[in-house]
Amino acid sequence: MLRGHMPDGASNSPLSRMGAILTGPRPGFVSVLGLAVAGLVLLWLFVNAVQTPELFANVALIGLTNGAVFGLVALGYTLVYGILQLINFAHGDVFALSGLVGFTVLFSVFKVSADAASVMTVLAVLAALAITVPLFATINATIEFVAYRPLRHSPRLAALITAVGVSFIVQNIGLYFYDVRFRSASQLLPRDPVFELGDISYSWNKLIVLLITVPALIALTWFVRNTRQGKAMRAVAQDRDAAAMMGIDVNRTISVTFALAGSLAAIGGMLFLTQFNLRYDTGFELGLIAFTAAVLGGIGNLQGAVLGAMLIGFIQAFNEGLTWLSPGSDWTRSIVFGILIAILVFRPEGLLGERTPEGA
Amino acid sequence: MSSHGQAAEGRSNGVVLRLDDVHTYYGAIHALKGISLEVREGEVVTLIGANGAGKSTTLRSINGLNTPRRGRITFEGRDITNAPAHEVVKLGISQAPEGRRLFPRMSVYENLEMGAFQRSDRHALKEDVDRVFGLFPRLAERKDQKAGTMSGGEQQMCAIGRALMARPRLLMLDEPSMGLAPIFVERIFEIVKEINEQGTTILLVEQNALMALDAANRGYVLETGQIALADEASALRENEQVRKAYLGET
Ligand SMILES: Nc1ncnc2c1ncn2[C@@H]1O[C@H](COP(=O)(O)OP(=O)(O)O)[C@@H](O)[C@H]1O
Ligand SMILES: [Mg+2]
Repeated sequence: MLRGHMPDGASNSPLSRMGAILTGPRPGFVSVLGLAVAGLVLLWLFVNAVQTPELFANVALIGLTNGAVFGLVALGYTLVYGILQLINFAHGDVFALSGLVGFTVLFSVFKVSADAASVMTVLAVLAALAITVPLFATINATIEFVAYRPLRHSPRLAALITAVGVSFIVQNIGLYFYDVRFRSASQLLPRDPVFELGDISYSWNKLIVLLITVPALIALTWFVRNTRQGKAMRAVAQDRDAAAMMGIDVNRTISVTFALAGSLAAIGGMLFLTQFNLRYDTGFELGLIAFTAAVLGGIGNLQGAVLGAMLIGFIQAFNEGLTWLSPGSDWTRSIVFGILIAILVFRPEGLLGERTPEGA
Repeated sequence: MSSHGQAAEGRSNGVVLRLDDVHTYYGAIHALKGISLEVREGEVVTLIGANGAGKSTTLRSINGLNTPRRGRITFEGRDITNAPAHEVVKLGISQAPEGRRLFPRMSVYENLEMGAFQRSDRHALKEDVDRVFGLFPRLAERKDQKAGTMSGGEQQMCAIGRALMARPRLLMLDEPSMGLAPIFVERIFEIVKEINEQGTTILLVEQNALMALDAANRGYVLETGQIALADEASALRENEQVRKAYLGET
């Protein structure tokens, strides 16, 4: 939906060009190979589901929850790529920093005591979001203003390298203020089961993640589809100069896009903090995972980012949770980044992306 | 043509747009080397010249996509030299740019809607869409089609329609006939006259000098970033130099 397009007619994304260089014309056997792999994976899932159905269901629910968090971060990559054709490598680090700042807000500002989860602690998490979301919206828009806007008319590689630089800067800010220790707020959300079906259970702390993520995703989609600002974003993504000629303030629109991405990252950072632990460099790997999700879905495509993130969430959970012939957590990285490479080589436009981004 | 000229004289002959010694650069490339021109209310003024002469750059200087380094541009008496593009359209100048530049993944209808993006009287949108559909019935048939999937001629109609949606007082058209089949070219020039007769002042950039001079009241000939000739359209059509260089005569 926000898939970018370059007005000069060189409308192949760098990703698809990367893929084209590696493969040349798309060979037919690739689809066969792809189907074979998919078939084997489905068979593996099926056998696991039959052998240990409760475990399978529990693991799937974990995958769903984690996928939702990945989705929040993946959307930030895809929003920014859609409008600037920039892979914002700093995004994962902004996410991690937002989690660390969220920790400060919860425990130093609100002075939440962490011994037992209660309605109050859940409300504290929501209240902390009311602080970190606008804060990181501003921070992300500022990053664009300071680091990327001056390079708007430079070769795209310049902005890409700058993004890597910003990634290090944000990471080191996290290191400076939070040292190397991991932080977590996993005690704040209640772990009582929402439902139990035999051995299958789903706990409140996971449901709360969905209760926050799903409305955020729906709100974002609605925003981009229906609001004036959303239309401006789509127009700028499709043709920046033409958008300006329509009376759209391009700079403002790009700022809003970064603010939205920063907001989603802040929600993701907070939820991550309530599920796992994180520190200054957590954003590096999680950012790459979320980026993989965005590419898997079709970078620039909002629904694609969510779909890709869900798939990665399931892949990770099944790989680490299932028992029969699972490679296990040592292999999660290899599998996820193997998928990234495979997508870039064989289907750079992703699952939902269009094969040829049309010229005007 | 003469009725055209009279229509222009009938209105107040106020200058709507004035360029005064405008210099515009692309980095170190000096693309416009002191352009001065004016467009009066109710006129069709054409800017002709070879590829690379600076016609599009002149429009980009007016509409705010390229800010001139020297010189002055005024529209209805207001200095717009440094106005950003999104402000210029609010002041009453809109454009169908070279290469059409539609939003390819939006429908024809959405493209027209985008044309009215900056207007505050958006309730009048329907009326204006109907006006555009009246000028280009083909667009009505295709209103739900993705703009990027239409033919060149249809896209050009959509681009002109989109520019009209801004209710401009000055409409700028950059090579509207480029790459179109002859029947589309004639239709486009008819439409240009029709729009002008409905009261919109037009600045028309063309390489098709013959058609452009037929449609225009006055014309400017651009050569390598400078105005080489400026005259009534009828006089330019008779001019030796123009006939040789742009009308394909030897
Ligand atoms: N984006 C650009 N970057 C650098 N030079 C440009 C650019 N666009 C146009 N030019 C140069 O400016 C001059 C005028 O171009 P242009 O205004 O597009 O001419 P025209 O519309 O008359 O064909 C040409 O020499 C062209 O090469
Ligand atoms: Mg041109």
